[in-house]
Amino acid sequence: MGRLRHLINIILLLVLSTVGLRYLFESIFALPVAASAEARPIDNLFNGHFWMIAFLFSLIMVLMLYAIFVFRRQDGDETDGPHIHGNRNLEITWTIIPTFVVIGFGIWGAVTLNEITRPKEGEMTVDVVGKQWIWSFTYPEQDNIGSGELVLPVNRTTVLKMNAEDVIHSFWVPEFRVKQDLVPGRETTLRITPTEVGSYKLRCAEICGLNHTLMEADVRVVDAAGFQAWVDEKQAVPAFADLTAEERGAFWASAEGFGCVACHSADGSPGVGPTWQGLYQHEVPLADGSTVIADDDYITTSIHDPNSQVVGGFNPNIMPQNYLEQFAAREQEVEAAEAIDLDITADIIAYIKTLQ
Amino acid sequence: MSAVTTHSPHDDAHGHEVPYETQMRSNRLGLWMFMFSELFLFGALFTTRFVLWGNTRPALSQEIGLLATGILLLSSFFMYRCEVGAANGDQKTFLRSALLAALMGTIFFIMVVVMEWNVFGLSGELFGIELFGHLKPSDGVYGGVFYAMTGMHALHVLSGIALILIIWWNGRRGFFTPERHWGVEATAIYWHYVDVVWVFFYPALYLMGHAVK
Amino acid sequence: MFRNTRIILTSALVKGLVGQFVAWALGYGFIAMLRAFRGLPTPGLYEPAVAFGAILSVIGFLVGAGVLTDWLKLIVGKRTPLRHGAPEGKPEWSRYLNVDYNHKVIGIQYAITSILVLLIGGLFAILFRIELAQPGMQWLTNDQYNTLFSAHGIIMIASILLGVGAMVNYLVPLMIGASDMAFPRLNAFSYWVAIPSAVLILMGMAVGGWDTGWVGYATLSLRAPLGIVLFMLGFWINGFSSIAGSINMLVTTATMRAKGMTLFRMPILVWGAAAASIIQMTATQTVGVALTMSVAERVLGLNFFDPAGGGNPILYQHLFWFYSHPVVYVFVLPGLGVISELLPVFARKPLFGYRWVALSSMGIALVGFLVWAHHMFTSGMADALRMPFMFSTMLVAIPTGVKFFSWVATIWEGKLPKNPPTPLLFVFGAISVFLIGGVTGPILGTIPTDLHLHDSYWIVGHFHATMFGGYIFPFFAALYYWYPKVTGRMYKESLGKLHFWLMLPAFWVMSIGQMSVGLLGMRRRVADYDPALGITTTHVLITLAALIIGWSVLIMIYNFVASTRTAPLADINPWRSRSPEWQIPSPVPEFNYAVPFEVIGEPYDYGLDGATYTREVVPVPSGD
Ligand code: HEA
Ligand code: HEA
Ligand code: CUA
Ligand SMILES: [Cu+2]
Repeated sequence: MGRLRHLINIILLLVLSTVGLRYLFESIFALPVAASAEARPIDNLFNGHFWMIAFLFSLIMVLMLYAIFVFRRQDGDETDGPHIHGNRNLEITWTIIPTFVVIGFGIWGAVTLNEITRPKEGEMTVDVVGKQWIWSFTYPEQDNIGSGELVLPVNRTTVLKMNAEDVIHSFWVPEFRVKQDLVPGRETTLRITPTEVGSYKLRCAEICGLNHTLMEADVRVVDAAGFQAWVDEKQAVPAFADLTAEERGAFWASAEGFGCVACHSADGSPGVGPTWQGLYQHEVPLADGSTVIADDDYITTSIHDPNSQVVGGFNPNIMPQNYLEQFAAREQEVEAAEAIDLDITADIIAYIKTLQ
Repeated sequence: MSAVTTHSPHDDAHGHEVPYETQMRSNRLGLWMFMFSELFLFGALFTTRFVLWGNTRPALSQEIGLLATGILLLSSFFMYRCEVGAANGDQKTFLRSALLAALMGTIFFIMVVVMEWNVFGLSGELFGIELFGHLKPSDGVYGGVFYAMTGMHALHVLSGIALILIIWWNGRRGFFTPERHWGVEATAIYWHYVDVVWVFFYPALYLMGHAVK
Repeated sequence: MFRNTRIILTSALVKGLVGQFVAWALGYGFIAMLRAFRGLPTPGLYEPAVAFGAILSVIGFLVGAGVLTDWLKLIVGKRTPLRHGAPEGKPEWSRYLNVDYNHKVIGIQYAITSILVLLIGGLFAILFRIELAQPGMQWLTNDQYNTLFSAHGIIMIASILLGVGAMVNYLVPLMIGASDMAFPRLNAFSYWVAIPSAVLILMGMAVGGWDTGWVGYATLSLRAPLGIVLFMLGFWINGFSSIAGSINMLVTTATMRAKGMTLFRMPILVWGAAAASIIQMTATQTVGVALTMSVAERVLGLNFFDPAGGGNPILYQHLFWFYSHPVVYVFVLPGLGVISELLPVFARKPLFGYRWVALSSMGIALVGFLVWAHHMFTSGMADALRMPFMFSTMLVAIPTGVKFFSWVATIWEGKLPKNPPTPLLFVFGAISVFLIGGVTGPILGTIPTDLHLHDSYWIVGHFHATMFGGYIFPFFAALYYWYPKVTGRMYKESLGKLHFWLMLPAFWVMSIGQMSVGLLGMRRRVADYDPALGITTTHVLITLAALIIGWSVLIMIYNFVASTRTAPLADINPWRSRSPEWQIPSPVPEFNYAVPFEVIGEPYDYGLDGATYTREVVPVPSGD
């Protein structure tokens, strides 16, 4: 008789608590808006998990608190509890049932994963490169246009082909739910089908050193027409030959170029490297205590062999030491295409001169 | 260090000293567990080799590899004789075999590390066999894995040699008796273990996969 | 006063530290000299020299402290008897600062070190939490933030390993009726080697810090500041402590149990500790390899992980997690053992399903070896590996569930006290916190949800809950519960309760807050966040909660320190436990049991009239 009463109490409390908790989760475990087709099945799985969390937590806690309060020792009672050693059937029950539950969730997860990673029709490819601490995007199907922000057409699956240049980074836009690391030396892929037009933020989710916090990029989801317009605009960029050295320099410094801006600000704000504002022809204190004037020679050496003249207050080994080769490769590429005589280092110095 | 002891015969009477047989059981078990633990060390290196080299291997001198392996295996035989000697109270076999095992271990070490590692700037030839390897630390993963596997193994060989020399030194002064020679037994087990590890490392380094470079 | 200062200054601890820095300087100088011979200058903080010096420094510490003395003597053929008691002519307390071979002294050394290290790690957490309370950068730079949270992670983990060592060392020999551990000198080594390891990690912070988190992934580890080398070496050296300690524990349990104590009659904590030791003994080796290779790649120029030379950065992650996943069960298994140990005592009922609980520890340990890649679902590892690891991960829930259900069944119809004493409160807290930590695990184990949660604060919430519930709360429960055994005095119950009622709610706020901001898009390991995410208030709450947890821990420490002198003497068996260690005087005599005991019953037969667990062995005259 007493047992039945306990059972009924427990079931009542359990139901109340499970539903109550699940309701509470709506506010404390809220997810950001779902802005991709992949987000839907994932959110269903989230929902299932939240129910399970609410239920399991309630189950153990209700039983525990019930035992604590209902069976507690009465005043003056000095006896021990009943001598119960165990119950094999119970043990088997609470081994088998969770086994099925977790396997069930496993299958659910597998099906969902398959759904979101399956190749879809009409996919578009974007190449993503991450390096300390900047993102850049190239659109191979749109004449290889390059961009520092990720612009995606709505309702079309995009395959991101991702590479890291130096260390591991990770692509995460919370509204899209999915995440993928970028690994140096290999290509990783991620499929995203944005469903909501709007602006989002891409933030690097894998610790990648000093400025990991700041490794962000804008993401814009636009309609098909808007995307085409953006592509046209990008394709219409004047050839390098038509630009001034200063304009070219600004381009090289940007995310689409060599990403200098990741470390060197143009407005005097602090960064991993010294700011470029007011640099040219000014005195620079070096780490070894001496000072130099930031003339063309100094800047050239600083780019080609950054460890040779480390500025006071900054760390060596952070800036890549192969810009000379990178520049040479790019110069050849552009020269082959446009038949101009290019000197990227000189362009950048010309740009720095404008930042007074 | 004030290594003073308040230990007195009176304490022994309390019987807290663990009986010799129990201590021996603990020692043996402890040694085996240590070796089991080390299995994961060597296993991790082994795995690394397969992940990084796959079905390839660097071109190494087959002759030196084979010879070194043979010598190491032979040393195990002498180590066995050494233990038998100690167990039978045969000082002469014990001491002489210990020295021989240590000597062979040293030769193995010289062949695999001093000769194969190209960091000492040596070169030379004997009977048309190139004596010194050409793998440098900077040779990408081939250098890395080879140095790591042979290096970690060589560290064990060196410590084994040190142990052998210690039991030899103490054995000469009558430290061990046929009844109590745990030091010799432990050294022998350890030495065989290091040997067995090489039996797996040798094919992984010298034989499997096709040679590149 | 002067005498005390002298005793401290000549203690093994101080000598060891001096030895460590002398050896470090020698090592550094040696490399500098080699370079000088070749006509090269040695720049300040030259990395290979620092690394070489660091390795020597550990030996310097051990030699300076005298940890190796007995072994060095053995090498030249001198057998030394085990030293017992305080060093001659010195007070009893100086034992704790010197190399001592008694397992109880070592256990207490572990415990105190663990708490000190916890304070340091917690202090770091509080420092960076203050930064995170507001968006924007207030008082830390990115550099300092990175170093602080990385050091927080590894130092807390070191603290846990030390705390596990404390429980194992103090309790296991007592519970199984041994006079000491099987290898007392090795035992001292395990403890003492952890000190130079902690020093290396802290020095790493001083020479530039590092910015990789506690995982030290390649290839970032190749580019991180110099501190990473010392972090990795410190981590690596700590492995020696783990391996030696765990072998010792397993051997002790295997060979030194009291007569009649079969495996299924051991106190349940011993099972948890044994399962944890199996993990420590094996998995530690692989992280050792990973760390060695990282340091070799940086310092010696060998290639393993950098793809530029054909290396594979994912390989590091596999080797690392092959240790670092199982190690989370090292943290919790002894803790869960404490819960299983205490509940029957307070409920006055047998532990429900003893065998199942015992075997579930082994089950968790074994399945724990098969799930490591669930930390790498987004890493770009081979696609074929994802599914198997998803299913294996889900399986860990089953043996863990067995424990929870057995605990509930143990207290069901049990006679829990109306006004639970502090240890019991902490056990209840542990169950609730570990539960939320546990049930937030499977959602990480299913890949699609993990794609969102990976490297977000959800994970930070998950693992603080599992580690607090599975280790911190049970450890505190154990400290309160065995405090009268260790000191012979009773702590102040009112302060203990205050500690609990501050810490539990604060912890819930912190952990749920972390999970909540994580879902909304808060990344891990960032010094700053976008106020647009709408998580600022929650961050303020988390920081406040962190401060409260900090205060509550300080209260506990005050309670323990103040009670050693002034508190009333405790009863011999204040909890009316049947466990053998409570049948002898507190503090425990030097050699534990004056008369060995023999096991003649089940360990938890509460409620069965006339049942006894142990009885004293009638001494047999002569022989051994
Ligand atoms: C003490 C530490 C501890 C413990 C016990 C656990 C327990 C578990 N952990 Fe956790 N985990 C960590 C510490 C711990 N973890 C840490 C430190 C990290 C981050 C590391 C880093 O990146 O820095 C991490 C990260 C982590 C990840 C990686 C996430 C990512 O980076 O993307 C995953 C993924 O699967 C995971 C899963 C699990 C699971 C399934 C369990 C299971 O063992 C939980 C099992 C328990 C229960 C499920 C509750 C009780 C069971 C029942 C009541 C029975 C019924 C249950 C069901 C039917 C489900 N953990
Ligand atoms: C047992 C392990 C453990 C414990 C107890 C804690 C305790 C705490 N942790 Fe920690 N944490 C980790 C293990 C742990 N943590 C790990 C492994 C990581 C991952 C690191 C990584 O990403 O690599 C992490 C990361 C981590 C983060 C994420 C950082 C990031 O990703 O950017 C945060 C953020 O909130 C956090 C907060 C806290 C807080 C507020 C506490 C509080 O509970 C602390 C409470 C404070 C005390 C206990 C100290 C009290 C002392 C004083 C008040 C001062 C007195 C001092 C002296 C006398 C010296 N921790
Ligand atoms: Cu890139 Cu973090
Ligand atoms: Cu894990």
